Amino acid sequence: MTLALADKPGQLLRALEPIAKNGGNIISIIHERDKPVEGYVPVSLVVDFPSHQSFRNTINELKSLGIMIMRSEEIVEKVRLTFILIGGVDLRKIIESRVKGAEIIGLEASTPRLDEVSVKLEVEAPAGNLDEVVDHLKRLAKEQNATLISPIYP
Amino acid sequence: MRALLVGFGFLGKELIKALRNKMDLLRSVDNGFRVVGVADSKGYIYSGDGLNIEKLSSITRLSEYGGYKLGGIAAELIDGDLCDVMIEVTPTNIRDGEPGLTHIRLALSKGIHVVTPNKGPLVLAFRELMSLAERNGCDLLYEGAVAGAIPIFSLVRECLQGDKIVRLSGILNGTTNYILSRMFFEEISFEIALKEAQEKGIAERDPSYDVDGIDTACKIVILANALMGRDVKINDVERVGIRGITQEAIILAKKSNYAIKLIGTIDKRLEVSPKLVPINHPLCVHGTLNAIHLETDLAKEITLVGYGAGKETVSAILNDLITVLKKRSRRKALGK
Repeated sequence: MTLALADKPGQLLRALEPIAKNGGNIISIIHERDKPVEGYVPVSLVVDFPSHQSFRNTINELKSLGIMIMRSEEIVEKVRLTFILIGGVDLRKIIESRVKGAEIIGLEASTPRLDEVSVKLEVEAPAGNLDEVVDHLKRLAKEQNATLISPIYP
Repeated sequence: MRALLVGFGFLGKELIKALRNKMDLLRSVDNGFRVVGVADSKGYIYSGDGLNIEKLSSITRLSEYGGYKLGGIAAELIDGDLCDVMIEVTPTNIRDGEPGLTHIRLALSKGIHVVTPNKGPLVLAFRELMSLAERNGCDLLYEGAVAGAIPIFSLVRECLQGDKIVRLSGILNGTTNYILSRMFFEEISFEIALKEAQEKGIAERDPSYDVDGIDTACKIVILANALMGRDVKINDVERVGIRGITQEAIILAKKSNYAIKLIGTIDKRLEVSPKLVPINHPLCVHGTLNAIHLETDLAKEITLVGYGAGKETVSAILNDLITVLKKRSRRKALGK
């Protein structure tokens, strides 16, 4: 994110407080003191937040402190997981289901009999939501009376 | 020390052979060590001076030994102040733990040390039995109860005393691992792999206990209670077995460099279910092998691999027995 801070003492510290409070880990900080624009200094930060919610909370708190946010962009770390579903699986229901930002990016099915489909799913999910993704797929499998084989360490 | 063996099935007989072969070692720890009694489901033999271990190791039925008290029960030997350590190797029964539970309760209440690989009593009454042992100043050791010859309890008790176990996962049942390994390598169906395992004597005629994950769930309960300070029962374990695993699922997994394994896991939850294990992961062992993967706060990751059932379990029983003998010799030397 890039913030515009008033060019006076204590402003950077004031801006960092909401980040720290919400568990943000500052990876880099560029304080361009030599480029003030109309009394404001741009400060570019790369911060690792524990969740989407903590990122949103920080943005809201910065705004409520009257700090101008010139630009903010969220990059979510994603993990690719493989699952196998066995049984009478409704593929459309699975593909259409979205949970916590997870997406099905690959699918391979083997169907020796219509009632005995084995499907391999490649799922891309946000690193912070893996347990929820596994639980969601488990529920889907249970609803369809199918067996879910999940990765040993999601 | 006077030892009583309760149970003269496959494991009891294998243990007698190991005691015969290792008698010099046992006597070097305790020169008074002797087996004074052996009981089976129909009676027992007893001699206060010690039974003839050579003769015992050559018989297939206890009644062949001579002096067999038909109709006698193990409780008579436990209750009569006739032994100092009991080795309980009766068959596992997870419904009510019997007859092992009664034997172990009685022995511990009399201050008799107990060594057992019997899962039933430990699954049903772990906390009760451990506190009974503590109150009566005796040991209850059960290394053989989980993953046979893999020294998981000794390792954690002796070598990871300062570590906190964050997660434990493992292949804890050799039968299901054999079936899944055959399906993986030969690309055969579950039914054919099971039949083959039954023909080889690896799977029981009624395989439910293994293939439905009940055996693994029992072991997860014992591990969680003994190593991670939990107080859980078998119903706390989420359980899915391997009956539903298809040949096609195994092939799909294999194409992505995974094997399907029945994994027991203890972390936030207790779970037994088939999982996708990367083929280069240390837990990805095949055949009847077992494997346990520990994640701790300090040591990080440790994996143990070994045989989980069969005569290899004797190694764990013997180690427990020697532990008891050494502790008593140490106490004796200190005049306690």
